[in-house]
Formats: sequence, structure tokens, C-alpha cells
Amino acid sequence: MTAEDVTTASGTSALLGGGTADRRVSSRSAFAAIAITGIVLALVPIWTGDSRTLMGVAVGGLLFACYAIAFNVIFGSTGQLFLCVGALAGLGAYSSTIMSDRLGVPFPLAMLLATGFAVIVGGAFSWIAARRSLDTIFTGIVTLTFSLAFANLVLGQGGFTGGETGLVVEAGSDTFLRTQIPPYYLFLALVLVYLVGYVVIHRSHIGWAFRALRDDEVAAELTGVDVARYRIYAGAIGSGMIGFAGALWAHVEGFISPDTFSFGRVDVPVLVMLVFGGIGTLLGPVIGAGVFTYIGEVLASYSQLRLIAEGTLLIVLFLVFPQGLVRAVRSGVDRLRRRGPP
Amino acid sequence: MLEVSELSTGYGAKDVVRGVSIDVREGEAVAIIGSNGAGKTTLLRAICGLLPVSSGVVGYEGRAITNLRANEVARIGIAFVPAERHLFPEMSVAENLALGAYPKRPDAKQQSLVLELFPRLGERSRQAAGTMSGGEQQMLAVGRALMSRPRLIILDEPTTGLAPRLATQAYESLAALRVQGVTILVAEQQVPLALRLADRGYVLENGEIQLEGPAAELRDNPTVRRAYLGIA
Amino acid sequence: MTAVLLDGIVLGLQFGLLGVGLTVVYGLAGVLNLAYGPIAVAAAVAVSLSMQSGLSAGPAVLLGILTAAVISLLLNFTILQPVYRQEGETRVLLSLLLTIGVAFIIDGILVWRYPIEGLSLNIGGDPVSILGVPMRTGSLLASAIVILTGGALIAFFRATTTGKAVRSVIQDEVGARLCGVNPARVRALIFALSGALAGLVVVTEAMASPVTISAGFRLTILALLVTVVGGLGSIRGAFLAGLILGIVNSVSSFYIGAYITTIILLGAAALTILVRPSGLFGKHA
Repeated sequence: MTAEDVTTASGTSALLGGGTADRRVSSRSAFAAIAITGIVLALVPIWTGDSRTLMGVAVGGLLFACYAIAFNVIFGSTGQLFLCVGALAGLGAYSSTIMSDRLGVPFPLAMLLATGFAVIVGGAFSWIAARRSLDTIFTGIVTLTFSLAFANLVLGQGGFTGGETGLVVEAGSDTFLRTQIPPYYLFLALVLVYLVGYVVIHRSHIGWAFRALRDDEVAAELTGVDVARYRIYAGAIGSGMIGFAGALWAHVEGFISPDTFSFGRVDVPVLVMLVFGGIGTLLGPVIGAGVFTYIGEVLASYSQLRLIAEGTLLIVLFLVFPQGLVRAVRSGVDRLRRRGPP
Repeated sequence: MLEVSELSTGYGAKDVVRGVSIDVREGEAVAIIGSNGAGKTTLLRAICGLLPVSSGVVGYEGRAITNLRANEVARIGIAFVPAERHLFPEMSVAENLALGAYPKRPDAKQQSLVLELFPRLGERSRQAAGTMSGGEQQMLAVGRALMSRPRLIILDEPTTGLAPRLATQAYESLAALRVQGVTILVAEQQVPLALRLADRGYVLENGEIQLEGPAAELRDNPTVRRAYLGIA
Repeated sequence: MTAVLLDGIVLGLQFGLLGVGLTVVYGLAGVLNLAYGPIAVAAAVAVSLSMQSGLSAGPAVLLGILTAAVISLLLNFTILQPVYRQEGETRVLLSLLLTIGVAFIIDGILVWRYPIEGLSLNIGGDPVSILGVPMRTGSLLASAIVILTGGALIAFFRATTTGKAVRSVIQDEVGARLCGVNPARVRALIFALSGALAGLVVVTEAMASPVTISAGFRLTILALLVTVVGGLGSIRGAFLAGLILGIVNSVSSFYIGAYITTIILLGAAALTILVRPSGLFGKHA
């Protein structure tokens, strides 16, 4: 399937394919796949455990996997183009940091509150988009303005946020979060939790509603699916996932700045990772995050070409490969199976 | 002048129009009649380059124009007035007419001819096309098509949405055009009007030509009378 | 206060013309070109480089504008061709994503090859007093250029045959074809025009303050905000929205601060989408 196949009414479904066309996988194989992924990823520190930098990169990869899984819930499941993933993570990170460092809130609680803020913001966007019947493009533009406004807010309120120079995160500095290897496993656990959450959501009536509204929104509405409500669920849950990951990152990394959460540094890579892996698939986000974190590390010495490489990737991906790796592999396997014994 | 041979076309895998052959001689008025969904619009769109042809040939004045794009067809002397009219809603009547003459500048003589045919357009020269009534829009669509001084004008159901009196008036204008030497091909559901104007006609049903012949013959044909004229 | 307002008007005129370049492409081709800002910056770099190799300002500026027009045309004929095979929302979405990629590539090339380039045009001369406010000749020249270009554009669209052909494609592409208009050629023309406008605005901006290599993203967002507030596809809307946002920008920057000003402009666009998505003069609600 290429970008030229227009199969359904919704712009995003038409663009990216998949959706209900995806073969249904049983819960058991889904959980098995998650378990295998967990085991494989758990082995990574064997190669990288010695180097603090490499471990940092690895954790970063897991962080982006979290972002991508969440974006998969928001965009992949309900077609809402939230171009503010970075800002939501930043919201989680900055509010958690400010609450724990400046307001004396114990940081686990601060993280939960910060996640709550992200949930509210995300849910609000979905609610507004539903009330005002905003299409994909307008939702994208509105969330983009939020992303930029948030960056400007952080930059402008330097007193609170450290502005352009960034903010040192004190909370959590005396815990295991700042060590070399345990944070990796913490984030790995988060990724697995998010994956399991994804499966559970999609097996439930919520997931059924997601599939219905993605396939044909009008038909879904007519059969009694409250499209708005399910979109709000997706927006809120996904945003919460992003916010929490961002907050956790702040306390693990120890330093945050507006650049960490900017559109170019978060939203664009997440989009590339998710589309490459396969929007709407379970492991797509993780595979995409893994591949691109690896490539990013390998090409680190050519940092001046990073922009050019990302741009080219984005173009090639959307023109040639919008269905993503997971589906490509699946259809390859299907084709092989069909050529099997007569 | 126009020779369509074994034309097949459609919107996807299956062809909606199959093996249709019609011809229109210079100076004639030819009608294509058929019920809803018969394929009239599909056929006309394919002839005019709005729809790709799967097989068959469209010939105009000796050359094959089969898969020319619509804008190229418009430049060789064929003007098409589609059922949806496709006027420019925010442009005035005058501007719509001017574009009819594209790429040339509007010819004053031709414009006054058009305005003579449709005096209402002259009255509403500055009015935005989108705000006019159905009948006026139909006049404007035909007027715009005439601005390019076409040798052949093709109309798809020109009476769509028109009250009976306006429909009759529309056909009176078409008759006036004939007198001026313009060749006409019209697809029409309102069979009596069409057969009164036309010299010859074709009956298109289910994507295929079922009958053809001089208009008078078709009018007297019992199948035609039963199916389209409501006469048992 | 008058000074601030006049500054705002000068800025607003530039914002408006910048917005026109983006909105006209959307109105005609149904495409959101997010590589718009980087194309403008490429023009600035071209002007700067040619002036450095001895070309005088006038020809250099023309060269810059031409560069932007050509890049825009190339974009139309290459990356966007598959996009045109899509319709409606899918087309806009795909164009948005692909042009982000192009924006990255252009930015990447500029940053890689000309990391410290920038364009600054100093127009000499004593300040001229307008309404009691001393205005730099640079600002006045910039405004004059923008006003003249705006006027020329309006005349083009209203009075010339080609201009009408462009409007016809925007309003009803099938109808335009039936009149013999070739939409692909009109599209190419509008893309070239869009690039040229971007280049022109960037040059006028350089008369007031230096344009740096990293200005691409900012310019794209600015054009997008103006386009959204004015109404996607509306040239009139872009001019008016640009003026309004320019004045708001000046007033807010002066009395409040830079970051809040940006937030206000962003908020204006978001508010427009929420309250009146068709913008000031937009095509569709």
C-alpha cells in the first residue's frame, strides 16, 4: 500500500492505511510479543552498560518509545493530529520539577500531579476539537500553536523555569534514578506497561469504538458510538502517558530545557518513528524508536547532516513507506505462507 | 464532425459505458436520451476529457482526441456545459463570460450575441454567479460556453433544476443557436424537449446504445413512447 | 504611541505579503507549504552571497527573489506531484508532512554550508518624519515596496486575463478546465509567485534588522498564523490579518514583552480556528 491508495473517508486513514484492514492478532500473541520485546530490550545494557553516555542514549530511546506509543493511541487510534507531544512532555517535566523543587511537593506526588495536568490539557484539546468539529489539519495547527506557546512561556518566565539556559532538576538526585543502569529498567518497565495498556485498551469496548470511528466516523456516530467521548479518552490517556514519561525523564536526567521538548526535537522524530514502525500496530512505535535511536547514535559524528537526514527520511517515508515496517513484514510473511505447501 | 467509436469508460474496475458509437455531423443537433444512471453523463465527460477512456476512439474533425485533457478539448472548438455547471461563484457574470473566451480576450461581438440570447445576463452583469437563481446560472453556463465561439457545444441535462417554463426557454435558445450554425450534442432526460430540438437521437441505457435514428422515428417508436413519454 | 503604531503598520504590511504567498498556494493547490520560511531564507542567503561577490544590491535582490521562485517551482514539480494525486484533507496532510521534510532539508543545507550567513541591508539616509515620528528610510522603503507589490498583485488578479484564470482555478477547477485553463500551469505560476513573495518580504525585512540562517521556522509559523487568521486561501484576508497582527505585535512587544507577544499571536490564530475557522475572509467554514 502506498500513499496513493485512498481507501477510506478520513484523511489520515487514507494516508496511512491500516486500521481495520490489519489482521486481528490474538491477545495471547500480543502479550507474547510484548514479553519477547521486553526480554530483548532487557539485554541491551550488556553492550551499553559500561558507558554512561550510551546508557543515556538507550534511556532516551525508551523515552521516545513511550512518546511514540502514546502518540499511537492519540493519532493512530483516533486520528487526532496532536502536534504537541514535546510540549505535553515538557508540561509534565517542568511542572513536576517546579512543584518538587520550588514548592516542596514530594516528587512522586509531583509527577502524578504533572501527569494530571497533561491529561487535562490533552483531554481539553480533544474536547474542543469535538465541540468545534475541527478536522485533522485544524487540530494539528491548534496543537502546534500550543506547542510553540508553551515553549515561549517557558522561555519567557525565566525566573520560574530557567528560561533558555534550562533548569536543573534537584528532586530525585539522591535516588536510584540518577544511577547508570536502573533508570533504563525503570523506563523499560514503563514501555512494557504502556504496551500492555495499549493492548488492554484495544481489546476493550474503547478499542472497538476506536476502530469504528476510524473506519467511518459518520457510521460510528449513527450506530450510537459517542465519537467525541472516545476521542477525549484517547487524547487524555495518550497525553497522560506523554506527560508522565516527560516528568520521569526530568527526574532521571537531572536537567531540562525548552530545547529538550521542542517541536523539531520531539514531534518530528516521534512522527518518523511511528510511521516507520507502523501506525496503529502494537510494536511499531517501539521498533521505530529503536531503529532511529540506533541510527542517530551511529550517525552522531555527522551531526551537521542530521537535519538533512531527518528531512529526507520524512519525505521518503511518507511517499514510499507509509504503512510502516510491521505491516510490511506481516504482508511479506503472509505472502510466504501463501506460497507454502499446496 | 464528432465521431465516437466503440467507447468504453467508467470510474473504476468496471466500465459504466461499453462500446458506444455515436456521431454528430456538422450543423446537426443530436440528442442522447436515457434514464438516470444510463451513462449519459459518463459518456459526455469521457468525450470532453474529464474522464479517461478505457477503450475506443473519439474523433473530432478527422483527428483523434481520445485522451486529451478537458482544457485541451476546450481549446479546439468544443464547449461542454456539464450538469453541475461549474461556474465561478465569486466572480461576476461578466467575469465568468470573459473566462469563457480564455485564452483570448472576450470578443465584443460574441459577447453581444450572447447577451442577445440571454438578456437577463446583461441585466445582472455585475452580480456574483453564486447568488443567481438556477435558471440564470444555466443561462450563464451556456453563455460562458458560447464565448469561445465553439463549433460544437455539448450539454449535459441543461434542464436540471429548471422549472418547465425555463426549460422550454432553454431549448428555444438552443434552437436559436442551431440557426446560427452551431452543432449541438445534448444529453437529456426530458425527452420531448430534446427530440423536438434534435435531428437525430440515440437511446442510451445500461451503458449501451439501444436505439438510434432520426428524431421523428424515435418519437414514434413504441418502446420510446412507453419508457420515456409515458404513453402506453 | 504613534511611533509604535506606525512601526506596527510597516511590520503588518510585511506580515501580510508574507501571508499572501502561503495562502495563495493553499487556495489554488490545496497544499500547505511549510517549507515556505526556509525558501525565504535561501533567498536571503542568495542575496547576501551575490553581494559579497561584488553584485550590487538591485541585481542581487532580483537574484535572491529568483532563487526562491525557482526552489518553489522545483518543489511543485517534484515532491508535490504525488501529493496532487490525492484530494482534500489527505492532500493537505500529506503536503504538510512532506514540506516539513523539505523544510528540514533546506534548513539543514543552509546550516551546514552557510552557518554564519545572514542578510542585512542598510539603506542610508536621514530619518523622514511621518506624523511627527522619525521613520528610518529603510522602513519607509520596505513599506513602499510592499505596498507597490500588493497593489500590483491586486491589479494582476483583478484585471489581467492570467490573473482571472488563477482565480477561476481557485473557485472551480473543473470549470476552469472547461474554459481552457490549464490548472497545472497555473499552479506552477502560483508556486513561483509564492517563492518570489517570500524572497521579497525577507529582503524588506533585512532592511530593518538582520535576517539570520535560523529564521526559516519563525517565518513559516508567521506566515501560517497570518494565513489562518485571514482565512485559508484568501488574499484579502492575508493582507488584513497581516496588518492586524503586525500592529498587535508592535504594541504588545513595546508594552509587554517579546515572548508574551509571540504567545498572543499564536493565541490569535488558535482563537480564530476555534471561533471562526474560515478566518476573516476564508473560503469555507
